[in-house]
Amino acid sequence: MTRGRATTLVMVMLVMAGCTQNAAPPRDPGKVVLPVKQVDVPGRLYATKGRSLYRFSGSHLTKLLAGIKVKDPAVDASGAQLAFAQLQDQSSTIGICDARGGNLESITPAAGPEGKLWAFAPHYSDDGQRIVYLSDRLKLPSNPQNLRPNDLAVFGQDLGGGAARRLVVPVPYSGGDSDPALRPGANEQLLYTTYLYGGAPLEPVARLTWVSLRTGTRVYLSPDGARNFAPAFSPDGRFVAFVRAGAGSDNLYVMPLAASYSREPRPAPSDAALQLQAGIVSQPVWAPDGSAIAFLMLVNGSFDLFILPVAGTPDGTIHATGPAKAVTHGSFLDADSRLAWSP
Amino acid sequence: MNHSGTAGVPRGGGLRRGHWVVLGAIALCLVLVGGVLLYLSPVLALLDNHDLSPAKPVATPAATPPPLDSKQRVNILLLGSDNDQKFAQNAVLSQTMIVVSIDPAKRQVTLLSLPRDLWVAIPGHASAKIDLAYAEGGAPLARATVEKVFRIPIHYYAWIGLDGLVKVVDRLGGVDVDVLHPVLDDNYPNDFSDSGYGTERVYLAAGPQHLDGRHTLQYVRSRHGDLLSDFGRSVRQQQVLLAMQQRTAGMDLVTALPSFARDLNGHVKTDLDLVRLTQLMLFMRGLHAGDVHQAFITPFVRDAVSPDGQQILQADWPAVNAYLRRLFGGDLLP
Repeated sequence: MTRGRATTLVMVMLVMAGCTQNAAPPRDPGKVVLPVKQVDVPGRLYATKGRSLYRFSGSHLTKLLAGIKVKDPAVDASGAQLAFAQLQDQSSTIGICDARGGNLESITPAAGPEGKLWAFAPHYSDDGQRIVYLSDRLKLPSNPQNLRPNDLAVFGQDLGGGAARRLVVPVPYSGGDSDPALRPGANEQLLYTTYLYGGAPLEPVARLTWVSLRTGTRVYLSPDGARNFAPAFSPDGRFVAFVRAGAGSDNLYVMPLAASYSREPRPAPSDAALQLQAGIVSQPVWAPDGSAIAFLMLVNGSFDLFILPVAGTPDGTIHATGPAKAVTHGSFLDADSRLAWSP
Repeated sequence: MNHSGTAGVPRGGGLRRGHWVVLGAIALCLVLVGGVLLYLSPVLALLDNHDLSPAKPVATPAATPPPLDSKQRVNILLLGSDNDQKFAQNAVLSQTMIVVSIDPAKRQVTLLSLPRDLWVAIPGHASAKIDLAYAEGGAPLARATVEKVFRIPIHYYAWIGLDGLVKVVDRLGGVDVDVLHPVLDDNYPNDFSDSGYGTERVYLAAGPQHLDGRHTLQYVRSRHGDLLSDFGRSVRQQQVLLAMQQRTAGMDLVTALPSFARDLNGHVKTDLDLVRLTQLMLFMRGLHAGDVHQAFITPFVRDAVSPDGQQILQADWPAVNAYLRRLFGGDLLP
């Protein structure tokens, strides 16, 4: 075919295509965009966009901690203290400050004998005295010719001045664990996501994991051969919201939690979980009064902030009481960064 | 009746109205053709960039593409290479080999990843890892190797370098990917350092997220923190391909194509012609997630050591061939 004929044919095809579809791929607007019909946010809900921290409260949007790159905000139960991962050049630390962004200090080192360090995903105990987070401290030195495990593990630290302690050992070469949270009302119980490999042939797996920090008992709450992750406790500690990956989906589920576990429950509690929201969902977090769950969801190519009203039933389950409402619109919020919600 | 008093102008003294119309039409056509050529020039320049025949002749002839209006399967060999400064530009290994098989009749696309460490017979060369074929003989030898070893007819190829992937993802405005595991790499090759030998620390959280070009490259390229090694990387590469396909679903190709071509010039080599490229882009744009199938031969390979002491993958060829027959049916080469 000659170049001239090819050009003509292509033009015809392109014009046909242009006539049928004219949408450009959605672009990051570079700012948080609120919908025309604004949704009032009860309490204070924290999220990040472009590694900047934002607070949604009522109809107000406030940018906090200017000039600091923030990931994974957390807030204590009173709403007085914030914690977050402070990103630096190829390292990160856990920073804490008051709710207005004042009195900022780092409570973890950016480097140690092991080299530069990461720290992410802080989470307060409900009394605000303790924090759990992820770090690659205690990793083995490694180089391109000798790659050794450097996976993220869950660490705990008393904010009163105690030393950091590794609480669980991750599966080597899995990338490490994620999403640590202490159970409200039972701070000796830890919930997190274990990343590992399962099935035959091996495939990536993510399992919800419960640990008693008192006895050391560790049980999986979700099955092998599946990816269940991002657990978030309800304020009373009785329920867990989480995300389950399916074929082309990451749906939001909720399940009840027993008071304690001495052995691995069968069937896995996650198998009986109820789906609350279908879509590509990430980073669920409960409202402080348990009346809603906020999450990020991919809509039209942008991760935006949504609030889903929920309520308990007499039979001890949680269900949605209405559709999820969009707090932001086309804002490209950081879907890899946790949300936090305080009164 | 003439009321103006100008009726006496002789008709033969200038151009008649018909002439002006014809001249105007010609001028309009010239402007349109010029505009079209100007518009398509980046695309044509991109498509002119392809691998010449290798120094050593390739024994197996490349498959002939089916006619444009046929419903026959079209197979494209996607090749990706680390082509940063530490490699000679004409001798890079193919670190990614994916056969994209488009079946218009069934309206399906299959992505078949070929492990780069697979030990195969390269036509005209000794047995070696399959990634060596591209380094030794460019795209012609890579496609000849795939045709000979797997009996898959390869109608076209497309090669992309590191910069090319970053640019195409950024041009798409990023991609949305469900990161399967946390990616943690203290020794990630810093692709854009001056020497090409630098390293940097990389962290990507697990879960659904939006990735720009640079982070997409880190996701598909990192080797640390993945026990599945090459298989894990193949899964991630296919994930990103699917995410890119989904991102293009709503695009206006009229305005997008030249911009893509400008971005990719120098970072992509292909023997796809303009008409086929456009036809395939339109076809791919109309696909839904369920129309794209991911395939791997990893279950049929095992770790081994080559006679010269390299860590390689050895295939169970009867099992691989049976698997390919299930995937391609009667479309395999004899």
